[in-house]
Amino acid sequence: MRRRETLLALAAAVMMPRLAFAGRTPSPPGAEVYIIWPPDGATIPTGKFWVRMGLRNMGVCPKGIDRPNTGHHHLLIDTDLPPLDQPIPSDRNHLHFGAGETEARIELPPGKHTLQLLMGDYNHVPHDPPVYSKKITITVK
Amino acid sequence: MNRILVFAASLALLLGGAAHAGTTPADPRAFVYIGWPNDGQVMPAGRPFRVWFGLRYMGVAPKDVAYPNTGHHHLLIDTDLPPMDQPIPSDRNHLHFGAGETETMIQLPPGKHTLQLLMGDAHHIPHNPPVYSKKITIYVK
Repeated sequence: MRRRETLLALAAAVMMPRLAFAGRTPSPPGAEVYIIWPPDGATIPTGKFWVRMGLRNMGVCPKGIDRPNTGHHHLLIDTDLPPLDQPIPSDRNHLHFGAGETEARIELPPGKHTLQLLMGDYNHVPHDPPVYSKKITITVK
Repeated sequence: MNRILVFAASLALLLGGAAHAGTTPADPRAFVYIGWPNDGQVMPAGRPFRVWFGLRYMGVAPKDVAYPNTGHHHLLIDTDLPPMDQPIPSDRNHLHFGAGETETMIQLPPGKHTLQLLMGDAHHIPHNPPVYSKKITIYVK
């Protein structure tokens, strides 16, 4: 009897951490997202340009579809990382690429801007551990 | 009689067209290209190198995922385009990226090689119209 209770308690202890992480999709080891273009410090002659999104050791999958080791790109413009345990906001500073896009045509006003990529899972929530790029700074002429 | 001939001719044209592409529609503007290496590039022998897949006006989705205007990358090495109305072969000359990958590392023996990208739908069949890149030539020395 006592032995069975101990076993149950052990089983519960093993199960608990899994339950606690149920809300976050795991990212594969070595996953890395990066901005291929533009390079950090680039000066863009016109306000319209293509951003090329690079991803290593992980795949791209549209929103709403749960596949292991995948996610979709989010481009953060002139903003810091959002809370990493909630869906990424969707506004002018947080562009979603839920159709599996790996490049984006964007337009920015003249001045200094920051760009950063953050992967989101099928529910737009960052992975565990989160997969985000270095934040780069560009100048639009 | 003339009218029947014209009808038969158009039918033949239509059927002929259908036989040269899959049935999954792609945005007519969609294009895929090899972002790296460049056409004509010389790569050092005995070392793997990165191939970067560029895709515009279309998204990436893993195999078996049917999401509008998406597909997954196939890298054709030292071969011509396969039939456009059948699943893309899977062998050493036709590499599949069914997990939604957007880049890869490959190693090739010394010599002249060609690389070309071809998008495939959820079932590895090219789209209508088919989305494939320019075929580039690289030299491994």
